[in-house]
Amino acid sequence: MATTAYLPKEKMKDWLKVLSEKHQLFVPCLEDDVVLFQLFNPEKNLCFDRPANSSPKTIIFSQCEQLFSFNFKKEPDNPQKTSIELKENLEYPPTIIFGARPCDAKGFMIIDSVYIETDIADPYYRGRREKTTIITLSCPVPYVGCFCTSVGGGPADKAGSDILMTELEKGYFLEASTEKGEALLREPLFEDGSSYIDEAENIRKACYTMVEKPFSDDEPGKKPLPRFHEDTFWEQEGNRCISCGACTYLCPTCYCFNITDEQTANTGERIRTWDACMFHHFTLEASGHNPRPAKYGRLKNRVGHKFLYYPEKYNGVIACSGCGRCIRYCPVSISISNVVASLKDNMRESVDDKH
Amino acid sequence: MTNIKNPYLPDIATVTRIIDETPTIKSYQVIFNDQETMKNFSFQPGQVGQLSVFGVGEATFVINSPPTRMEYLQFSVMKVGEVTKAIHELSVGDQIGVRAPLGNWFPYEEMKGKKILFIGGGIGLAPLRTLILYMLDNRPDYGDITIIYGARTPIDLCYKDDLKEWESHSDVELILTVDTEFPGWDKRVGFVPTVLNEVAPSPENTIAITCGPPIMIKYVLQGLARLNFKDDRIITTLEKRMKCGIGLCGRCNIGSMYVCKDGPVFSLAQLREYPSEI
Amino acid sequence: MGSEKLKEIVSKVLPEVDVVIGYRQGFDQLHAIPHFITTPEHIDQLIWNPLCVHNLATYLPSLNKKAAVVVKGCDSKAIVQYMQEELINRENVVIIGIPCTGVIDVNKVLHAINYRPVKEVTFENGSILIRTSEGQKKLLLSDLYPDKCKTCQYPTPLVYDHLVGEPVKTDKPPESVDEEVREFEKKSIAERLAYWEKEFDRCIRCYACRNACPMCICRDKCIVESRDPHLMSQKLTPGEKLMFHMIHSLHLTGRCIECGECDRACPMGIPVSKLKKMINLGMKNRYGYIPGINPEDKSPLLVFSLKGENTEEQKP
Repeated sequence: MATTAYLPKEKMKDWLKVLSEKHQLFVPCLEDDVVLFQLFNPEKNLCFDRPANSSPKTIIFSQCEQLFSFNFKKEPDNPQKTSIELKENLEYPPTIIFGARPCDAKGFMIIDSVYIETDIADPYYRGRREKTTIITLSCPVPYVGCFCTSVGGGPADKAGSDILMTELEKGYFLEASTEKGEALLREPLFEDGSSYIDEAENIRKACYTMVEKPFSDDEPGKKPLPRFHEDTFWEQEGNRCISCGACTYLCPTCYCFNITDEQTANTGERIRTWDACMFHHFTLEASGHNPRPAKYGRLKNRVGHKFLYYPEKYNGVIACSGCGRCIRYCPVSISISNVVASLKDNMRESVDDKH
Repeated sequence: MTNIKNPYLPDIATVTRIIDETPTIKSYQVIFNDQETMKNFSFQPGQVGQLSVFGVGEATFVINSPPTRMEYLQFSVMKVGEVTKAIHELSVGDQIGVRAPLGNWFPYEEMKGKKILFIGGGIGLAPLRTLILYMLDNRPDYGDITIIYGARTPIDLCYKDDLKEWESHSDVELILTVDTEFPGWDKRVGFVPTVLNEVAPSPENTIAITCGPPIMIKYVLQGLARLNFKDDRIITTLEKRMKCGIGLCGRCNIGSMYVCKDGPVFSLAQLREYPSEI
Repeated sequence: MGSEKLKEIVSKVLPEVDVVIGYRQGFDQLHAIPHFITTPEHIDQLIWNPLCVHNLATYLPSLNKKAAVVVKGCDSKAIVQYMQEELINRENVVIIGIPCTGVIDVNKVLHAINYRPVKEVTFENGSILIRTSEGQKKLLLSDLYPDKCKTCQYPTPLVYDHLVGEPVKTDKPPESVDEEVREFEKKSIAERLAYWEKEFDRCIRCYACRNACPMCICRDKCIVESRDPHLMSQKLTPGEKLMFHMIHSLHLTGRCIECGECDRACPMGIPVSKLKKMINLGMKNRYGYIPGINPEDKSPLLVFSLKGENTEEQKP
């Protein structure tokens, strides 16, 4: 039985203050017209009205991570010779991601399979992941582009969250599903949550039915995409792509990166930074050869990775949580959900045609 | 928390010998600075390593010395990009980072008792070299060995000492070719796929292994198909832009396979199932 | 809204070209998308309305095909600039101009409807009606213009082969163009730095601004990703981000046609065009030059002159 609690709305800031005492606390804040995860500060403009523009991915899978630093040293007995010293730092502070959405939490689970649950785990991601608690807010309504229910998720899906919050009329109903989450609910601020279960359940159910289903499958990742290998389909769809990285950088599940060295005089560091499979140079080889030189090939690879290649490796799980950010913020409004719907449907002439 | 080594952290090694193979290709023999690391190091023919020049970056190269000769690890580096340029500036005694071994290897156990046909172009002989030397060191296990190897000019042929030695083996057939006529060259002239066609080796009890520039591989694969080699008897080793070397960073995939982790060695039968993004 | 006339022209033009680039409805009725027409069957989906925001001329320099393109007044300035810089072969381009009375900043609409999924969109005398699960919302088009439309001087394309409808004249005073920048320049240097640091802090280096820009023609060979030479770090520091945007802006000196695509493409709501407008104002003050107006012009920084006679000070 999961631990539940109730927090009156007026006590939200008090709770956040308590959480921020022992954690690095990230909360969604409104800045200009943009919602961003930022370090909590009581002065900031908290915003739970809609999902953040970018997912909280960077808090665990940092957009720029130092892999190690290096130091060149002259050998005292032979100054002609230099030796190299490498230093890694895998210490991370306890962190909370607060107010993420269920699709954001699921994003981390999708990355976990590749970065943690494997023979060669990524120590940086794992280090931050283990130190992070995720407190999500269930979505009361769907937003433009949302399609979580078509990819195995839902607006109140608990998967990946340590605590799921549901906004009620006068407060929040909280439900812990992990020990980490339960520990945070042992706070005098909270009231007993048991009498609010029904109210919360009704709100969650109402939203579930409102989410658009561009394609419906019982086992979404296990059904074939009949048109996937039609290159003419991709050419037509890839025409308007401008090869930027907005879709991948906003995405809660994209995890490609680049590794580069940065050096100043006798010291330097090797860093890894997000990279995007939509960029031309992503696969460009030093010889000038590029296995994916055209935009359409890269779009095909991105969709293929999420809906075909990843499910093939990870038991039918789709590497997309349906958050809709890539659709909402694509400069040319490419809709991955419509693309996938068309791949499943031979009858649809063009991606954005509706039946 | 963990006693497994950080997969991104290279071991430091020292360059012990540099061999000028061609005007643009040099081979580097390296040994790990830490004696324990050197002693415990093991790998399989076909596996690759990432070489680091700190401050410049990393690039992937096959370990082209065989596991049967562990005094050093050898990598051959063609000067094409910034990392390879930096490696070419190294001298004997310089330090280099090595992350190895990475990736899969040639199925040399399954090749036992079979005839082996190697087809290489340019620096593509590097991964074949490790297996050729391994097989020569375990000669009784394998049948006839045929090597078709070509480069643009005689100057661009790698491992000239090895070639000389292989030529002297009575149980190795070495067929060398260059793209165009060259003063003093009395061997074959023509592209590797064309020569393959002329030589027309029999597919019977034979495994073909090929590596070279993407365009050469493409035509060699077609040529082998014409000679009735079955897809599962054709093996190639691929090169891609790689960064992490452990199947995470995403750039070297062909469909759901990562060349760095699931490869670089693939049979044509495997590749047929994936998008043609070679 | 002229869609029928547009379809008629496109039907006529299509046989002469490999592709016609226009607009069609995207994943919902609020989002128009670029539409690449290669067969007559595609023509039916063509639309023209204030949601047709993209600058389609941007696709031309890398297309390598004979193409017709639908352009608004602002978009046409990109074509003029391409002609100045010889980035397109004019003979391979058929320009279908549309006199425009202003487009919609879709983000403003999304804001007004609380980002709810859109069920239906209709237009009605200067208003847009949007139906969502919360009911119908009526918004005045005049409240939804992006900044570029509020000061637009060229609602009718400056170059075209076909014009859809009658030319329209601007009712915006010419001095309105620079107002935003002049106002901004009144701030102290420290205030401006603080402003940019805050804005660029949001930048995720996705390069949407660069790739949506019609004049950022290096694209796949941009120096911010180059490792050889290694001019920029991939780090996310404010300094690196500012550096990228400064490079972007400086490469557009005397070239930015102020179509606002960079602002529109930015997923983080950064007013990236402001830097470029500031540089453009400098170009105007010093050289009396405005990019994208006359195909015969040459941007002063693309013309070498030892005497510098093309500066305002040196002009007779």
